[in-house]
Formats: sequence, structure tokens, C-alpha cells
Amino acid sequence: MRKILAIFVAKLALWASRLLGYGGTDFPGRLARKIYPAILSDLAANIDEEIFIVTGTNGKTTTTNMIAAMIKEEGYTYVHNAAGANMMGGITTSFIEATNLMGTRHFDYALLEADEANVPLLIKEISPRVVLITNFFADQLDRFGELDHTINLIKDAVRGQDIELVLNADDPLVSHFQNETGLHCWYYGFDQTDYDSPSSTHNREGQFCVFCGHKLRYERYHYAQLGKYYCPECGNSNPRANFIAKNLRMSPAIQFEVNDMEIYSPYQGFYNAYNILAAVSLAKLVGMRDEAVQKAIAKYEPRAGRMEIFNIDSKKTILVLVKNATGFNQTLQMLSQDPASKNLFIALNDNAADGRDISWIWDVDFAFLADKHSRPQHYICSGQRSGDMALRIKYDGLPVDHIHISASLKDGILETLSLPGETAYILSSYTALFACRNILLKLQKQYGSPLTAEQQDQSMLTSS
Amino acid sequence: MKSFIIAYMYPDLMNLFADRGNIICLQKRMQWYGFPCKVQAVHIGTALSFDEVDMVFMGGGSDRGLKSIYGDLASRADDFKQAVEDQLPVLCIGNAYQLLGREYETAEGMQSGLNLCDFYTTLAQERMVGNIVLENSITGQKQFIVGFENHTGKTFLTDKASPFASVIKGYGNNGEDGSEGINYKNLVGTYLHGPLLPKNPHIADYFIQTMVQRRGIRTDWQHTLDDTIEWLAHEQIKSRVLKGR
Ligand SMILES: [Zn+2]
Repeated sequence: MRKILAIFVAKLALWASRLLGYGGTDFPGRLARKIYPAILSDLAANIDEEIFIVTGTNGKTTTTNMIAAMIKEEGYTYVHNAAGANMMGGITTSFIEATNLMGTRHFDYALLEADEANVPLLIKEISPRVVLITNFFADQLDRFGELDHTINLIKDAVRGQDIELVLNADDPLVSHFQNETGLHCWYYGFDQTDYDSPSSTHNREGQFCVFCGHKLRYERYHYAQLGKYYCPECGNSNPRANFIAKNLRMSPAIQFEVNDMEIYSPYQGFYNAYNILAAVSLAKLVGMRDEAVQKAIAKYEPRAGRMEIFNIDSKKTILVLVKNATGFNQTLQMLSQDPASKNLFIALNDNAADGRDISWIWDVDFAFLADKHSRPQHYICSGQRSGDMALRIKYDGLPVDHIHISASLKDGILETLSLPGETAYILSSYTALFACRNILLKLQKQYGSPLTAEQQDQSMLTSS
Repeated sequence: MKSFIIAYMYPDLMNLFADRGNIICLQKRMQWYGFPCKVQAVHIGTALSFDEVDMVFMGGGSDRGLKSIYGDLASRADDFKQAVEDQLPVLCIGNAYQLLGREYETAEGMQSGLNLCDFYTTLAQERMVGNIVLENSITGQKQFIVGFENHTGKTFLTDKASPFASVIKGYGNNGEDGSEGINYKNLVGTYLHGPLLPKNPHIADYFIQTMVQRRGIRTDWQHTLDDTIEWLAHEQIKSRVLKGR
């Protein structure tokens, strides 16, 4: 009875919050859990086939969404939590939203993106078949120092359970799960690629051996701490990958082969190649058909905000969310590989959702752009911390008279679009993203076709 | 001119909050002023003679990082102490700052510090985190300093020690007595992590002038830098913090 009450109240709360225009999906689930604490384990019992959990620092949303697309392609039903709603409340909400009022509707699969710290709690209430870990990076610095702690909590939670792990063989922080949990681990990783480098400038904690603390040596880096490593002290090195990606191409789109299956995706960037490989590995492991996997990945278009392309005054305008140094560095690498002439706009806020501490921008490397032909001509810094962003770029040796500060997002974007150049890159931290997107959507509507001279004058006026 | 040398202690293990921004800043400004400057990375076991460097910098690390470097740094403590007495400019941040005192507390209990200065650190219940505005006269005139703090250590100076600055808004050493950091001769310890120097160019220049004067180089500092962006970033955060965001 309490279960039905919990579902009813939570569905009502969900409906009301949608009606009021709140995106928040955590609250209904938390409410239901108060009324009937066993709600999640009860509803999870309606999953007929398997439950998959995806966690890790970067890429869990994209990876989870890709797996969802594959399950859909196979024609199965599934429960899937929305991006960002990856705590216990949000996950419970997604089950409640999917079920009927009696809480009896059955699904084939559940596919859950979980915040790292929530994995131990989640495993107490439901029994997944697979836990996929994308990577462990020092993410929001406010939380850092807790990374070791979080990894240990996850290890403790899965130990002795009937769970299979899908792990990134190239990440030295996840590769020791096998020894310490005794679980069956499946690994994915990249073979040598054309995009590797012998040294990496921006990684820190991940460079040390998790067994003996000795500094790791790398034969090559794919990106950040991901690569081919070994420990000269104790011999620890990458586990042998079960799913090996070969012949990686990243231009004009991502292409590679995994165990003889060809993969093609309209996405960009090495980090997305990892997300795709993670999703494909899980799909192969649980026996999805190659054809469904390939089709789902090929059809899967970048989602709003993660990377979105606009056409404004026949200028290609690319919006990218940047939320930590790793993602930011990857984005800079990507745009430096784009031969088009370009300008770069960066909006940096420091609200709670962005991370109050913006120190991480000093782990972003702009210096390599200085001698690249294809580097952005102008750097327009915007948002609450536009000054800090501009300083960062200045101290990496880019010409000061090409660094502009415009605290207003709109003025900054207009200025960027009015500068000569084929492409405009619009990078934004989380809380400025929706505002940037709205500005771009409006401009696209207004100037989707080439600008008239008059309009051009107007847009120049507004931007000055 | 013989290159200036900044010793960067344990850059791999003690760079939790991008403290290397301070090194980038010092090196760039030295170059802009026309002084060649090299950064010498000092790892565990690297030979280092404090007489041959012009400044020592050490950033904050994780508990694990601190544990790994402790023994190595302790073996250099006597030389380090002598160098500080000899007016060597030193900047230590976060738990590298805590390490300079008599003792400091971690989750595993009280640990002995290097005892370079007279203060101690205990663990607080709550994390002290947020933007911070300070004020001091280290440059000869009263000026603001802006930054970000994130620590659970509560540091208490004894009567014999002087703080780096006084807190205008934020927690500082302990959230109680309005003091922030420590300043002894040319050593500064502070909780302001990450890029402290870039948006406090007067503090960066305080270290640079000290380095240059210690070499006996006479300069009237007429060659000033264009710090428009630096002060803009400084003002941006200062006005937000003072307005209570
Ligand atoms: Zn080892």
C-alpha cells in the first residue's frame, strides 16, 4: 500500500514540477523513498533481463546514452535515467516515471548512469549484472582528494557480488580492480593511434602506481593519464584488453575497428572515441548484434550542449560544454586539428554547478596553440570569471592584443561572430551553457541565411 | 646575466589545485622584466643546494602526496631552515604550508612538522572553502589580495609568528582570529591555493623584487608591465566577494 502511495505522490510531484517548469528530477524520487524506502529495489525487480550501471568521472552520460540507443535499436524496452539525475533520488525518479500506478510494469533492461559516490548505495538496493567504469579523473577540484576514497568505496561495494566489471584498460586508476575485487573483469582499450604522444603535460595523480606508489612510465599517451604504461618498480602494466580498438581515425568523423567490427560515429574528439568504445564493449559482452550496435552509433548525434553545430550568417558555429581541464584540453586539441580559420569564445562561470573553484583552468594548456597554424585568431573571454580566463591565456604566451574580455555573453558572442573567420568555437562552462545556446538559436533563426549589409552593420553595432 | 632559478618542489605530487599557475606566472613575469629565469623541478631524491636557487615554491598535495614526499623533505629540513634564515624567498601553499609548522593533524592523527616556523594545525569539523579577500602591506603599502581557499586544517600562530595577511572576507588560518597564512623573513605560507600570483601581480612582483635584490642587482623598476588584465581579474572577484556574491 505504501508502495502505491509512494508512486502516486512521486508521479504527482514529477507532474507538478514539470508543470512549474522545473527540470529537477531528484525530488520526486527522494519523496518516494521517504514514504516507502524499498521502492527502488521493488521496482528494479520488474526488470526481466539485466541491469547495467555506468559510472566514472568523464563520459558517463554519453556512454549511457549510446548504450540506450543500442538497446532501442534491438527493440527492447528499458528504464534509463536522464542526464545529470544520477544520484539515488534521480535514479528512483526514473523508475517511477517509467512504471504504472501499481508499480507492476515490466521492462527488459535498466540502464543507469550513477554518480561515483552513489554506486555503493545503488548496489545495496539493486543487483546489476554489469558495472562499467569509464575512467577516474580529478574532476571538480572541490571534491578532489576524495578520489582515492571513492575508488575504494566502489571496490568494497562490488567485492563478493555477482557482478561483471567492464573497465578501461588504459586508465591506471581502474586497472587494478581485478586483483582487489576478484570479480570477472572485461577490459577495453586503444591500440597505438596516430594521435598518441610520448609525453603528457597535464596529468597528476594518475601517474603513480596504485600498487606500490612508484611513478609510472608511459610508452605513449592517448589522452590525459590514459595510455600504455608500466611500473618500473613492481611490473604493473595495462591489463590485456578483451576489446581492442584499432585503426582510429578522427577526421572527418570517428572511425575504428573493435575485434573486426567497424565503427563509425559523427562525434569528434578522443574522449568520445573512448565513450563509443566503452558502449560497444558492453554491447558485445551482453550479446547485442553487430548490426544494431553499428547502426545505433552511426545514428547517434551529439546531444544539446555537449557539442552542437549552428549555422549563423553561413559561419559554422560550434558550441561545446567544458567543465574540467581534461575536457577543455581535449576540446583545444580538437579545434587545433580543424584546418578552418577560427575564433574562440569562452564563457567561464563559477556558480556551484560549475564548481566554485576555477583553479583548474591553470591545468588547461593553451601554450601548444602558439605555434599552430590552425590556432584561433582571437580569444573572447566572457562570463563571471572572464578576467581569470583571459589571464590564463595571456600567461600561456598568446598575443595580448588578440585576447578580449566581454563579461556579457551576448556581446561576447556577437563580437566573436563578427570577426573574420570560417568557424566560431563557443566554449562554455555549465551554468552559462543554456544562455549561450539560446543566444545562438536566436541568431540562427535571425541570420540563418547570409546577412544583409544592413544586418551586418546592426550586429556590429550591438557588439561594440 | 646568470639565469634565476626557482626550485619547484615535487611538481608531480604537490600540485593538487593547479598551484603550478604560480610558477608559470613568476617565470613569465621575470622574462617580461628582462631577467632570464629557469624552473628546476625537484623530485624525491633530486639533488638540491638551497644556495644555488633564488626561490623555493611548493604547492599543496593530497594526503597521499604529502606522505610520499615527507621523508625526502625532512632530510632537507636543516638546509631549508638555514636558507629561510638567509632571506630566501619561499612560497608554500595548502598542506605544504602546514608542513612548515610544529605539527599538523591528518585523519591519522597528529604529525610532526618541519618546525621552520612557530605554529600548529588541527583538523576542523567543516571544510573552509570559498573565495577570499585579504589585505596586507607586504609591498610597503596596504593592498588587497584575492584568492580561493579550501582546507579542513585550522592553523594557529603563536605570538612569535606573524600572519601573511588579515582576512577581509573568508576564513583564513582558522576562521576565528582573522589571520591568514604566515610570513617569516621572505617566506610566505598560505591557504590561497591555485593561481594566487597571476591575479595578485603585486605579490608576484614582491617575490621577484626580493629575488633580484638578493642578487645585489640594482634596478629602479621603471620597466613596469601592463597589468590591465591582471587587475581586471582581481577586481572582478574582489567586488563579487565584497558584495557577498
Ligand atoms: Zn608499482
